[in-house]
Amino acid sequence: MTEVGTNAGLLTVRLVAPDRVLLDATAESVELPSISGYMETLYGAAPLLAELGSGEVRLHGGSAGEQVFFVAWGCAEVLPERVTILAEVAMPLREIDIEQARAELRHGSELWDQAGDDPEKYDSANAIMCVAEAKLTSASESAGETWQH
Amino acid sequence: MANVLDLRRRIRSVKNTRQITKAMKMVSAAKLRRAQEHALQARPYAQMLASVLNSVVRRSDLYNEEIGEITHPLLMEREEKNVLVIVIAGDKGFAGGFNANIGKAAQRFIAARRAMGQNIDLEPIGKKAIALYKKSIPMAVYEHKVELYDNDLARHIEDIRHRAAPVEIAAEHPAMLIKADISEVAELTDSIIARYGREEIDSVYIVYNEFKSVISQRVVVEKLLPIRKLGSHETTVMEEMTEEQKEATAKAARESGVPVTLPGDAASEQEARKFQAAKVDYIFEESPDRIFRFLMPRYVTTQIYHALLESIAAEHAARMTATDAATKNAGELIDQLSLTMNRVRQAAITKEIIEIVSGAAAL
Repeated sequence: MTEVGTNAGLLTVRLVAPDRVLLDATAESVELPSISGYMETLYGAAPLLAELGSGEVRLHGGSAGEQVFFVAWGCAEVLPERVTILAEVAMPLREIDIEQARAELRHGSELWDQAGDDPEKYDSANAIMCVAEAKLTSASESAGETWQH
Repeated sequence: MANVLDLRRRIRSVKNTRQITKAMKMVSAAKLRRAQEHALQARPYAQMLASVLNSVVRRSDLYNEEIGEITHPLLMEREEKNVLVIVIAGDKGFAGGFNANIGKAAQRFIAARRAMGQNIDLEPIGKKAIALYKKSIPMAVYEHKVELYDNDLARHIEDIRHRAAPVEIAAEHPAMLIKADISEVAELTDSIIARYGREEIDSVYIVYNEFKSVISQRVVVEKLLPIRKLGSHETTVMEEMTEEQKEATAKAARESGVPVTLPGDAASEQEARKFQAAKVDYIFEESPDRIFRFLMPRYVTTQIYHALLESIAAEHAARMTATDAATKNAGELIDQLSLTMNRVRQAAITKEIIEIVSGAAAL
């Protein structure tokens, strides 16, 4: 990898999951699923700290090339020359297990039914369902793309 | 004196045992290598999380300027009346003193806390840790209470704890070590934070075998909650490796090609610094408060996860050393038995010659 600074105009992007570093590369721009919606950062952006929702991180250009990762929950630190994404769940799209995602969705709705009057339980059930649904959407989109090719 | 045939059988049997321990050593070495890698890979996330939390702390509304501290429930100290002790040991035996050392350390810690009049909740992780307490300590009793109201349209669900003994087992985790899955650890954290929140427990400690490298291991008690300082481990060392143990482990590791020292502190710190948050004024997409509240439980999860991964690596290292010693002992035993067998055989031959010679002399 080239040193930061020698590749002007490129962002250093790191995607870190609790159990591994998934990506350490450069890119021209990065799309992030913040909790309030998608955002795209370019080189030279103002420092920003955002909470992540569930969705896809997309990288364009640079050494990373066109890459898409599924992420859910965490936070992203955006600095002028680098972006660090801390995601609780992170994986390349091809690693999404559709069966498992469906099972998670069912588990989530079961938890929702059993939540009683506890708002926290509704929140956690909702979080599980959100991730499962986002996984299914990403997986079907990526399947659609390969289909078109 | 045993005859040659018996000795030959014995030697064959010891040779078989040596084969098995040798194979076990190779398996443990391979697992250790993987576990070490796993533990290393988990460091950047933990480092980054602590660093983001530290940079958010001062911007948060929870920060009290007057006392210079943050007023988050997980950071607040209160009198320790009920203490939760998480004990991480292994799933299997044949690992030298690994499980026993953790058991002893936990026992010492529990005894000290009991002497201070505190109640103890235990939460063993791993089959060997569970087996330590299963027979002697009762399980905690929770009453699952469901109340219906608003014409049975709404439910209020609550688990009420009825403490019957000063030391109880709060929960057991027999399968957590197999996959070392962070989502399972996150569930455990949620349950701990919930108990901490409703003041069922006032502090949380974790007893485990810390693993910096093959030759730098120790059994420690680490304070998990309340958090005194973000990003630092508050540990009490209960037992350190002796020089002999270090030597034996290093030898076993070298023989099986496992790195004895991991990337030095300086190198790993440099690597970790890549993941440190910058000291700049951020624009916050959401309030710093929200991010702080969101990240705090994750921080606790990474602390437990880190302990779990280190303990797994330590267990494999202990098993590798134990089986290496067993292989060596088997070799020595084979030498000894071979010597005895040769002596017995020689004695029989000599006896026969004497008999023949004295027979000839008598003629």
